[in-house]
Amino acid sequence: MPRPVEKLVSLTINGNEVQAPAGMMLADAALKYGDVEIPVFCYDAKIGPPVGACRMCLVEIEGIPKMQAGCSVAVTDGMVVHTDTPTVKAAQEAVLEFILINHPLDCPVCDKGGECPLQDNAFGWGGGLSRFIEPKRHFEKPLALSPLIAIDRERCILCYRCVRFSQEVSEDDQLVLEERGADTFVTTFDGHPYVAPFSGNITELCPVGALTSRPYRFRARPWDIEQAGSVCTLCPAQCNVSFSVRDERVLRVLGRDHEGVDDGWLCDKGRFAYQAIHVDARITEPMMRDGGELRPVTWDLAIETAAKLLSHAGANTGALVGGETTNEEGVLLTHLMRETLGSNDLDSRPGGALQLELLRALNAPTLQASVPDLQYAHAVLVLDCEPVDDAPILDLRLRKGVRHHGVKLLIGSSRPSALDERAAHSARFAPGCGEGFAAALAAELAGQPSAALAAAAGAEADDVVALAAQLREAGEEVVILWGERLTAGPRRNEGARALLNLAEQLGLDGRDGGGLLEIPSGTNSRGLREVGVLPNASIGLGDAPVVGRDSQQIGEALAAGELSAVILLHSDPLLDQPSSALWQQALGKASAVIAHAAFLTPAVLEHANVVFPAESYAEKEGTVVHPDSRVQRLRRSISRQGETRAEWALLAELAARIGNDPKALTCSMVSARIFEQVPFYAGLSLDLLGGVGIRWSEREAAASFPSAPAAPFTLDAPPAAASPNGLLRLGSFRSIWASPEVEASPALAFLHPRQRVEISPADAERLGINHGENVTVASNGDSVTGLAHIRASAPDGTVFLQTSIPGESAALLEGPLVEVKRS
Amino acid sequence: MTDTLLFTNIDEPGLNTIDVYEARGGYKQLERALKMKREDLITELSGSGLRGRGGAGFPMGKKASFIPKGDMQKYVVCNADESEPGTFKDRELIQKNPHQLIEGVIIAAFAVDATITYIYIRGEYEQQADILDAAIAEARERGILGENIFGSGFNVQLELARGAGAYICGEETGLLDSLEGKRGNPRLKPPFPANEGLFNGPTLINNVETLSAIPSIIELGAEGYAAIGVKDSAGTKLISVSGNVERPGNYEVALGTSSREIIYGLAGGPVDGRKIKCWFPGGSSTPVLTADDLDVDFDYDSLEAAGSMLGSGAIIVVDETQSVVELAYKLAKFYSHESCGKCTPCREGTRWTFHMVERIKEGTATPMDLDIMAAVQEQITGHCLCVLGDAMAMPIGSLIAKFRDEFESEIEANRNERERKLAAEFAAAEVEIEGISA
Repeated sequence: MPRPVEKLVSLTINGNEVQAPAGMMLADAALKYGDVEIPVFCYDAKIGPPVGACRMCLVEIEGIPKMQAGCSVAVTDGMVVHTDTPTVKAAQEAVLEFILINHPLDCPVCDKGGECPLQDNAFGWGGGLSRFIEPKRHFEKPLALSPLIAIDRERCILCYRCVRFSQEVSEDDQLVLEERGADTFVTTFDGHPYVAPFSGNITELCPVGALTSRPYRFRARPWDIEQAGSVCTLCPAQCNVSFSVRDERVLRVLGRDHEGVDDGWLCDKGRFAYQAIHVDARITEPMMRDGGELRPVTWDLAIETAAKLLSHAGANTGALVGGETTNEEGVLLTHLMRETLGSNDLDSRPGGALQLELLRALNAPTLQASVPDLQYAHAVLVLDCEPVDDAPILDLRLRKGVRHHGVKLLIGSSRPSALDERAAHSARFAPGCGEGFAAALAAELAGQPSAALAAAAGAEADDVVALAAQLREAGEEVVILWGERLTAGPRRNEGARALLNLAEQLGLDGRDGGGLLEIPSGTNSRGLREVGVLPNASIGLGDAPVVGRDSQQIGEALAAGELSAVILLHSDPLLDQPSSALWQQALGKASAVIAHAAFLTPAVLEHANVVFPAESYAEKEGTVVHPDSRVQRLRRSISRQGETRAEWALLAELAARIGNDPKALTCSMVSARIFEQVPFYAGLSLDLLGGVGIRWSEREAAASFPSAPAAPFTLDAPPAAASPNGLLRLGSFRSIWASPEVEASPALAFLHPRQRVEISPADAERLGINHGENVTVASNGDSVTGLAHIRASAPDGTVFLQTSIPGESAALLEGPLVEVKRS
Repeated sequence: MTDTLLFTNIDEPGLNTIDVYEARGGYKQLERALKMKREDLITELSGSGLRGRGGAGFPMGKKASFIPKGDMQKYVVCNADESEPGTFKDRELIQKNPHQLIEGVIIAAFAVDATITYIYIRGEYEQQADILDAAIAEARERGILGENIFGSGFNVQLELARGAGAYICGEETGLLDSLEGKRGNPRLKPPFPANEGLFNGPTLINNVETLSAIPSIIELGAEGYAAIGVKDSAGTKLISVSGNVERPGNYEVALGTSSREIIYGLAGGPVDGRKIKCWFPGGSSTPVLTADDLDVDFDYDSLEAAGSMLGSGAIIVVDETQSVVELAYKLAKFYSHESCGKCTPCREGTRWTFHMVERIKEGTATPMDLDIMAAVQEQITGHCLCVLGDAMAMPIGSLIAKFRDEFESEIEANRNERERKLAAEFAAAEVEIEGISA
């Protein structure tokens, strides 16, 4: 459903004329346009339609005899509202007196005290007196609702926010109310722990201290902390967050409601993985390998050694850049590599280089959909990605679109998606066959035969026909939310062409409200590409003077001895790159491995010669680019922990020591240089970005984006998906919880995944495998073990394993076929 | 009794079977209605002046006319969750004449073009539910329910759903949530069920008695039906009379009959010539009236003018031997037990009131508590999401207003009683202490 058109109406609130968009709820309109606060408890526009449960917002509207709940009355033209009459005042005092009779008033020992809507409303609107002398309700307290959340049922005012979040926003359907009347309480079915990817949001939604974060419990009072706004860089969703900082420690992460990015929600990784900033396992001082072991050294020695090693390797240096790298660090790294060492072998894409013209075509500003488009489009096609794992917060946006705006959700993926049950149609294809599937869909839309293409992609021909029909009938505004997987691997260029053809068939170029939205593999992948951290592009996606090696080729060249040194900037190829075997060999062979890392992940632990401590995202300054082209600013929220230094400065210093000072005195100097040098960022500044960022694709400067070839492209026939033939196809995915930060955070460690082997019930039966037992997955002599996970929705003939799990990653295996058996 | 429509032949053995029902002219009106145009049928229902018999008294035809036209799935839901204390009329209708209800449901369904209908019956009515189940099966077998009924091309199905014992599921939106398999909580209105009801489809929801009256309306015609009763209170009404009367039971009267005639004439008045202290005209949730109000005519407008409501038409008579405190206690206990807990004033107000009345009984209350109790009733009234809160606040508020002296003297008496008891206990304890020290 297209975005609602805003029509203004005039109403009178307390004698003042106010203009507000028609359909807006009175409580919102009064606050936003009339500067009149109508107190609420149960209402929050972001949870969905009002329920009118708490009755705090009663107001008088002329012409209606009964008082009305301001949260649930939409403003209309000519409405005359009173929020300050004695009748309203009496109702507000009445409701607050009722709410407080069963509230324990233990504010001095309550985590919410000082930032509590109940305190605020009681202070602002209450009568200040209670006549209740009867015993209050009692419950056992506090209880663990989950390892992350404590529940104090005595404090609960039964506003339903948490239950509605669980049922209508995250749709995990875990929270329910039991009992009736004043005995009602919030719980889960059978008291199971409330474990879900977005569970932590209820601690922020709770208007009292009934639901509190266990990691934050009793760590600080509101007057002990300061709030510092920045961006979470733990995944490409780049949610806007606010760090609660006490004595230079992050104690809590809250959302910083940004409609264009996160819609006010956070995933549990974003909310709780801040703990990894302050754990002992974090690297906070430079280290060097000495006698086979990494030992702390002084900064001087580390920099001197790294500079020496790099000078020595010179042009024989490669660099892998991870997604958490900022644009500034990326630019300084390219300076170090290209202009200082004379090497063009640097890459920020794990899958290998994509032809520059295709990269430009995919990133063309006229083809970019925004995050809110997911909510308002006629249809969204989720293609070869799993939002809840790859960019979790987008999962909630898609659910919202389906639930409240009639978005038709369509899914094409290899692995069953968490969104399947909300989709109008879901189709499966063989792992790695996104290209063939996109090509089949494009052909079907063009009225050409698609059955053979579908078969080659391991998909049902009917599914392709059905999806195409749905796309054709949905309406003009279509968003394709696609995963980088589609343009990684050996046939990445063909994948990109198929996707561009599909977009062309749907007429997405230049379409308002529709377009492409990529979920890249790394947080700042988009920014790093745009500032030229690619072997085949210069800053601003310009042509590279000399085309260097891509990530795959860097690995091969290291293994072959053609390159001798490698810089791992926030990148662990043993976790991030598609082939672990190649990189084991490459790193083993390299004479110098310089790593910037926060944790001793496998490549760092086993291979690095020099390790520089990486800043955490709360310590970093710089800019990153959201997948929908929003340039966002990271602000330093705490001082750097331990001996950690600013990494941009370190990269600049390394270049200077080697003999080519980039003359970067501050990080903002580098940002300014980027805004000058990237033609389509022209005119941006850190001040302009402010706290909410700017989508560069919406600005005039976007016109200077380099031109790209137009679809349609002629596609060569994609190869047929491997036939299982008694074996199983290997598919892989990266869980939301597979990250060193999750593993290192004490509160989240219980979620850090072990390898699990997802197979269909039919395959399990054929192979004699039971749910939960140890199985081995093997190919070409390599093997991975994990627990069998029989999943009813898993496609027959395919096994799914996780990547980015140290020691047991799917990247250890070479596909396309593997053998699965009981260990 | 002059005009019986709903209760015609009500005590005839076997009327609950389709054979007897049809022999007495049953389903003839359905056949007639199916030949009418939908608009004409709705005009007929509107013209009859029939008002909802469940409690709110909303004109039935008007409600049916709110159902939008279009291809979407529409529903008719019969509210048989008869839970209002003192009300037992629907039970008798279902038990003795289920086919009359089924006929009414199908006519209503045809009028609003609903092909799926439900009867939601309270869980405690097990016998009645079995009777309805059997009647529905009979109607299905005869082709009265199903496809192309009476060759009209109209398809309709009827399912019986049983509640699980919650008063709130008699509130129409709570009922719809429960019917959908959710926790039975009232919904925010608007949207009203006519626009977004069951499974978000347009839904006509009416009480058993309302729907049971439809065949009579078709038979008599709108004018014929409207001629019974008085202005704005057309037709007959089943009155469940209970409490301190000689002959409790259901009586069908034309609306506008004097209340004295119903209570004394039909039900025989209180036993042993006792005086009436107060009476509830429309179930326990309506403000009480006193002996002074006995000459009020029993119709919607007259009762409203007297400061109460017709409600479900259940008269509960309380004679002079009863204590108002005990009455308030039972009311408060019932409503705090049945409050769903969704909105604040009802959830907390009913519980608080219950505890206050409890303290009056225990002898720990003061006259000041009576002021608080009266204030709490005012704090509930008009502030809630649905009418359950008001359903306690109105009768208790009216009891305090009309019988304040009695409350105060009982507070005093109970306090004295408690103090006496405490003094006696204390004295007994002292003796014991002396005994030890001796």
